[in-house]
Amino acid sequence: MRSSLRQMVTCMWSARRLQRYLDADPSAPLTPGEIARIEEHLAVCAKCADSAYELHALHHALAGWSQRPEPDEASLTRLRGYLDELTGSPRGPHGQETP
Amino acid sequence: MPPPTRPALEDPARAFREHVEPQIEVMLRVALSLTGRRADAEDLVQESLLRAYRAIDRFDGRHPRAWLLTILRHTHVNMHRRRRPDTLADWDRVGDARPAFGAARQQSAEDTVVDGTLDEQLAAAVATLDPRFRAVLVLVDVDDLSYAEAAATLGIPVGTVMSRLSRARRRVREALGSDALSPGRQS
Ligand SMILES: [Zn+2]
Repeated sequence: MRSSLRQMVTCMWSARRLQRYLDADPSAPLTPGEIARIEEHLAVCAKCADSAYELHALHHALAGWSQRPEPDEASLTRLRGYLDELTGSPRGPHGQETP
Repeated sequence: MPPPTRPALEDPARAFREHVEPQIEVMLRVALSLTGRRADAEDLVQESLLRAYRAIDRFDGRHPRAWLLTILRHTHVNMHRRRRPDTLADWDRVGDARPAFGAARQQSAEDTVVDGTLDEQLAAAVATLDPRFRAVLVLVDVDDLSYAEAAATLGIPVGTVMSRLSRARRRVREALGSDALSPGRQS
């Protein structure tokens, strides 16, 4: 009884941090202690491990999603040219002239 | 990379170019998500580059992408007078979604999950999301922005990005059903 309650509490604790654990985003880092505790839990809890796998798979599915429109190469080339114009045409490290 | 403070003092134009050039592609990608039209996306990035260049004094050399995306958002709001600036345009408007792209891709280990069926299911699931949730999901999971960059693009706090992202992902997982993303699918 006590161990299942403990398990449930750890599941809730892990679930709340799973997104931050998987994304590892610099704005919302977990502490090394939190990471260790989550990894320990994922190793023994099939439910949370499945959840982690699904989130990971979802991210990869969306990252490789074929239906997203890709930007135009021609647009990119024009914009790079525009940046060159804005900043004075690209020149070597010795070109010190400024407009 | 060393902190780029020196060159900015010595040659602002060159420092600007070095910081900004690598970000043009992601700016255009995000602009396409914001406007939903190719011509508008290019105009938006061009205008944003100009504004960024004029504001070069206010750039501290850190987080160029978030800085540029903030400018992109302000420019977008100014140019298009958006009613809801924390959402994205519908991709349908671009009118050239490429269903063949996924099938033509080289297969890698990661790609095995992205087969055609899942792609269609994903599109349906994402389409039903609240536009505010969809915006965060698209910027973070599809366009691969960080939380802070997505926050800068949409003009919302990082905490809001995180909570919307969590709800968006949960809803898409529910809509796909438990089998679609489960480990067994890949065998
Ligand atoms: Zn668990």
